[in-house]
Amino acid sequence: MKRPVPRDEDLFALLDRLDAHGPTVVSSVRQPAALKEALKVAVGLGLDANANDATVQALRDRLEAFAQRRALDAHYAAHPEVRPSLVELAQAAAELDGDPLAIEPALIHRAATEIVAFRPRATADDVLVYAAGLRSQANA
Amino acid sequence: MTTPPATIVLDNEAIQALADVHHRKHRRALSFIEVANQRSGRRREPVAIVVPVAMRVETGWDRTAPSAAALNRISRARDIVLGARAADRAAQLRQNAGVSVVDATVAQVAEASARPIAILTSDSKDMHRLAALIEGDTRVIHL
Repeated sequence: MKRPVPRDEDLFALLDRLDAHGPTVVSSVRQPAALKEALKVAVGLGLDANANDATVQALRDRLEAFAQRRALDAHYAAHPEVRPSLVELAQAAAELDGDPLAIEPALIHRAATEIVAFRPRATADDVLVYAAGLRSQANA
Repeated sequence: MTTPPATIVLDNEAIQALADVHHRKHRRALSFIEVANQRSGRRREPVAIVVPVAMRVETGWDRTAPSAAALNRISRARDIVLGARAADRAAQLRQNAGVSVVDATVAQVAEASARPIAILTSDSKDMHRLAALIEGDTRVIHL
């Protein structure tokens, strides 16, 4: 029988149905032995209550981030004019982080403009590192 | 040294802005969601985006409504319910800060969430007053 084509709708519907008290299934996963041991140690150090919770949470976080990425890309495809620029992303990142650069939008703008010349796929975090470098240079 | 937030709390206008592609702050609100997503997808600690259920009521965010589909998907915001103990704390915060019921629940959710916290709001005056009443690193971001 032919497998159905995966759809975004199904992914979102399943994630929205996730509930800590919902039905569960047991499944086995082939994983590197060292990873399993590292997980045991991390749980012992307080990462999570047990290895199962840690695994489920990590998988859930990854799926949520992936689903949100799909949603954002679909949103930008439908409305290209709302896609934030690198400058806007760097400004948002600075504000989220409580970074003093947040009150220096001109410096963020300059950093974003300069960095793409040699790193076309620069991220907001790359811009903030670069902007911090510019500021240090100016203060030296 | 700065630290990325572990939690982003959506206040009224953040929700309104994300919900409406024609809202004048839609793009700015999206910037914060985009940064959170990029960071969560890059082997960093995931950033939780949360919304107090009272705020959903105030903004008319019915997750089952077809019109809310895009907001549900792009925000991936998790509902934070108001239990009895949380209601007591929100009542205390409301009384001490002289703010609305819903704003008090935003502060209560911020207080109970993983730190650091960022609150996306257009009501930064009230939120700063509330942030001063709760412990931990709480950043009020004016949308």
